[in-house]
Amino acid sequence: MKHPIELKINGDIYSLAVDPWRTLNEVLREDLHLTGTKLGCGSGDCGACTVLVDGRSVSSCLTLALEVQGKEIQTVEGLAPSGDTLHPIQEAFVEKGAIQCGFCTSGMEMSAAYLLSQNSSPTEQEIREGLSGHLCRCTGYIQIVDAISDAAQKMKQS
Amino acid sequence: MEQFSIVGKDVPRNDAVAKARGAAVYTDDMTLPGMLFGKILRSPVPHARIINIDTSKAKALPGVKSVITGKDIPKVKYGNWRLFADTQDEYALAMDKVRFIGDEVAAVAAVDKETAQEAVELIDVEYEELEGLYDVDATTKEGAPAIHDYCPGNVSVNRKIEYGDVEKGFGESDYIREDTFEVHAVSHAYLEPCSALAQLDLDGRITLWTSTQVPYIVQCLLASTLGMRENDVRVVKPFVGGGFGGKMELRTWEFCAAFMSKQTGRPVKFTLSREEEFLTGRRRHPMTLHSKVGFKKDGTLVAKDLRIVLDGGAYNAMGPTATFLCGNFGAMLYRYPNYRFHGQHAYTNKPPASAMRGFGAPQSLYASEIQMNMAAEALGIDPVEMRLKNAQVSGDKIPDVATISSCGFKESIEAVARMSDWKRRRKELKPGQGIGIGCYSFISGGVFNWFNTQYPFSAAEVRAFSDGTVHLLSMASDIGQGCDTAMKQMLAEELGLQMKDIRITTADTATTPQADLGAWGSRVTLMVGNAVLDAARKIKEQLFGALSARLNANVVYEMECKNGMVQPKGRPKKAIPFGDVVAMVQKSKRGEPLIAHGYYTPRDKGLVTPAFGFGAQIALVEVDRETGKVEVEQMWTAHDCGTVINPKGVEGQLAGSIQMGLGYALSEQFVMQDGKTLNTNFLDYKMPTAMDMPPSAVEHIDTYEPEGPLGAKECGEGLASPTAPAISDAVYHATGYRCKDLPITPEKILNSMEEGA
Amino acid sequence: MTLPKFEYFAPESLDEAQQLLLDQGVGAHLLAGGTDLLVKMNHGLLKPASVIALKHIKELEAITYDPKEGLKIGATALLADVAAHADIRKHYPAIAAGAHETANVQIRNMGTVAGNLCNAAPSADNAPTLLAMDAEVEIKSATGERRLPLDQFFKGPGQNALASGEILTAIHVPAPGSGEGVSYQHISARGKVDISAVCVGVMVHMAENGCDDVRIFLGAVAPVPMRAAKAEALVRGKQLTEETIEAAGIAAMEESQPITDVRSSADYRKKMVAVLTRRALAEARDRALKR
Repeated sequence: MKHPIELKINGDIYSLAVDPWRTLNEVLREDLHLTGTKLGCGSGDCGACTVLVDGRSVSSCLTLALEVQGKEIQTVEGLAPSGDTLHPIQEAFVEKGAIQCGFCTSGMEMSAAYLLSQNSSPTEQEIREGLSGHLCRCTGYIQIVDAISDAAQKMKQS
Repeated sequence: MEQFSIVGKDVPRNDAVAKARGAAVYTDDMTLPGMLFGKILRSPVPHARIINIDTSKAKALPGVKSVITGKDIPKVKYGNWRLFADTQDEYALAMDKVRFIGDEVAAVAAVDKETAQEAVELIDVEYEELEGLYDVDATTKEGAPAIHDYCPGNVSVNRKIEYGDVEKGFGESDYIREDTFEVHAVSHAYLEPCSALAQLDLDGRITLWTSTQVPYIVQCLLASTLGMRENDVRVVKPFVGGGFGGKMELRTWEFCAAFMSKQTGRPVKFTLSREEEFLTGRRRHPMTLHSKVGFKKDGTLVAKDLRIVLDGGAYNAMGPTATFLCGNFGAMLYRYPNYRFHGQHAYTNKPPASAMRGFGAPQSLYASEIQMNMAAEALGIDPVEMRLKNAQVSGDKIPDVATISSCGFKESIEAVARMSDWKRRRKELKPGQGIGIGCYSFISGGVFNWFNTQYPFSAAEVRAFSDGTVHLLSMASDIGQGCDTAMKQMLAEELGLQMKDIRITTADTATTPQADLGAWGSRVTLMVGNAVLDAARKIKEQLFGALSARLNANVVYEMECKNGMVQPKGRPKKAIPFGDVVAMVQKSKRGEPLIAHGYYTPRDKGLVTPAFGFGAQIALVEVDRETGKVEVEQMWTAHDCGTVINPKGVEGQLAGSIQMGLGYALSEQFVMQDGKTLNTNFLDYKMPTAMDMPPSAVEHIDTYEPEGPLGAKECGEGLASPTAPAISDAVYHATGYRCKDLPITPEKILNSMEEGA
Repeated sequence: MTLPKFEYFAPESLDEAQQLLLDQGVGAHLLAGGTDLLVKMNHGLLKPASVIALKHIKELEAITYDPKEGLKIGATALLADVAAHADIRKHYPAIAAGAHETANVQIRNMGTVAGNLCNAAPSADNAPTLLAMDAEVEIKSATGERRLPLDQFFKGPGQNALASGEILTAIHVPAPGSGEGVSYQHISARGKVDISAVCVGVMVHMAENGCDDVRIFLGAVAPVPMRAAKAEALVRGKQLTEETIEAAGIAAMEESQPITDVRSSADYRKKMVAVLTRRALAEARDRALKR
């Protein structure tokens, strides 16, 4: 039986009827076409599906949509302030070469946003720990770590 | 070094903003009106005859629109080696037999994922199980049952190379050693699971959006398996989340999506789960390598005899190429005056191995490099010195195979030894630490036309506009490696434009020029780059003609495109904006648009490749002598990729290679039991994370490849090879454990240390 | 990825949850963080008829610490919150470490310590330390409430002592006494982020004449986290010299009963039991002597 719910995503309210077994990942991608959030494994191991729920990073593939009713959900689509301005994290990812195939990128950025909300000047080691729930097969992580470190500095300055 | 204005600069990727915003659309992100969801039924048994398939219950399930089995589809085999039809051994769905756990048996398309899943579970298949054969010894022994009827003995490919006189060489050697190495299968583990979406156009054409490295190959093979003409099939590559060789063939879900869209008149999408990827996905070839090498007392190489048996799994896939290449790589890096190779590709009842980053080199060079270190130790020569003594140099010929043009190998070895302070460190490490070296060479694309294409290997179209912009079209496939950006950089350089002046459309077989063989073998930069430059130069010819006419000068100047202008060389006062000159050309031709086509197919480049990349890598490790765990503390790399088009891109390729090499050496493997892959998730398939990555220093050796576009050659794939031997050698240095059967596990290290103690 | 179909309930009180559990019967499954449950469902290993979510019950969230009563970790307290909790980090550093070393950031933001225990994986990162510290679980049902020592809670891989209708509502850990030291050690096949191939939790109490109490628990080397009784006997009442500790490690190795699976061989696990037990004893001793 479908449950009527309201989801607050990137500040917008969506009214939906959702089957209990559908995950937040499925609802974001299939019902709302917010496809910036990816699905890489379905087991919470790769991090490609990471979104923020009430400010905390979670795996959307292991979150039932019904469980996040009434919470603030933020996806990669909600990071940039406007169509022609990027979030400092996104900017740093672009500039530092942190993006190759891009499939892990949105999840990495969301975890970076969570990390920097908890710790505004993380050490390199803390950044690496902050990415412990992510896999990337292209970059070897080095330029991603670099980008997050750069974003942290920029965000502190502004 | 040549002076460039855009080439060699850290230009951000042209797709970076779209990817950073989550706006880049990958195949599974797409939804079309009326779209159906596909699901594949896979064999649960490793080897069996199919007695009967009952799809009636699945077909009766409400919401199910199509259920197909081998009986419903054209009986056409496919495989990438079209030149040799007998290597094509795969059907989209099993016809009479299944040959590995995960072999595709049937497919369902339904109105939603849940229904498709349910329907697949309702299909009853009756199997008559056959003996499963899981290793090459079992399949190649006398009297072993044939996995494919056409291939008794189960060896599907034989490849031999021989030059010099190997036996005479061994006779003249002072020191001979013979070793056997076992290297294992690993997964591409691209983050984007495979996905394909097909739609029937109203006039009968099929469009397939698919996560592929080879749109042209998929187009051709899909057409033949569907019984259609090539031009009736359009293949589009959307953004692709990594490939590494794992997405370079026509695959069942691509066929099924297309076939079922034709059958139902509705779009059909298939997306694999990670579990399916691990359970059934392609993988790097496991190999058994017997290598005998002979040296003079002073360390000079005299002869090598290399025999390799490849465990190909259930189908050939790209196995023939791997068999071909591992023999070629066995003759690379060092001067082997006498060389003999025999490679055999054998079937087993396991998921097929295929192309994977390095394509035969990581396996072959693991054996070469470890053996080099063992010989160096036995002869009392420093491994770095031993390499310098034997290193290939520019101009070296490998009979019947290739002539090495640009080569910065010696410089790479010297640089990496200097960067790592090799001489001191090799002697002065604390207990538990070790330092080791590994080297590589790799191809910049292949010369051998196994796909039997009638088209050029690469093509590009450049359209120039009077507003000062150009549009670049090419079938090249950016799968994350960044070739779209590199091509734009080369075009901008050649035409004196900025990145923002270039629009690009790629990898759509209906709109981009025929053809391109795809993204594999590190071929795109060199081959498509040359095609782009060819087109750009044709544009320039016309621009220069028009400018000459306009200037009406009594001296004929050399012309150039620079800073958005066209001008006589070094005479900016006479410059006219690029767009204005384009308009001049058009006006001289009744408005005809200014368009040029460029092509590249290697000529007279031997059997393998037009150009080789080279490099050397040193690893510093620390081993916990109680647990056997290896911590890689630092990597140093020096490599020769010719002109560096985009330094950040090249460094990203390098770091990614180290991640993959680290996994290959230390943590990644398929745990198999009776043909079944047991570790089918990222929890148990252990890919290195950000916390496992060592710091890394890199130096680019400055060379210029004459056959390469603006001097460039391969950079992303060769580096998949040196990391495992470098780490392995460092572990030996630290513990005395010499790994001849990858991966290096803590347990193997501990056992070896116990035996040694 | 497609989860099997089920009914969903989100009770807001414990009473309501207990009633639902009774009404729904054997097909019902409790949902805390979902990080184990959804993975199992996704892989078709579990097909519950109904799922009862616990995260909407406010009273289950709390983490409280009292110097006399000790620590109480509510059933839905997140691993991340346990790892970061100031009192836990101060008084129970090994518990904080166990929580912090469970899985990865996102999983710790969703998963719970209680869920990690109820899931009853032999490799559960949070079990050995809690067992070593003599923790108890608080179990409630519509008909009553009981406390069970944690070492009676695990019944087999994936099996726990909860009867039908029961909910694990909290974990109680005694207040650490002076002279007590606890350590958690684990090892896995990948570098840093991984499921443990072997894990060890140790608590020692150091008196003037040496170690007068010790509890050693081993994870991932038996169907349930197991107590290394023979190793304990070797150190109890002794000074914790390197020789004693070494002998205890070997005893623990000998009494462990690991299997070979995708994560490790039995042989390597045994060897690691010796190493980790030794390291845990040494660290616990050093911590005890500092208190």
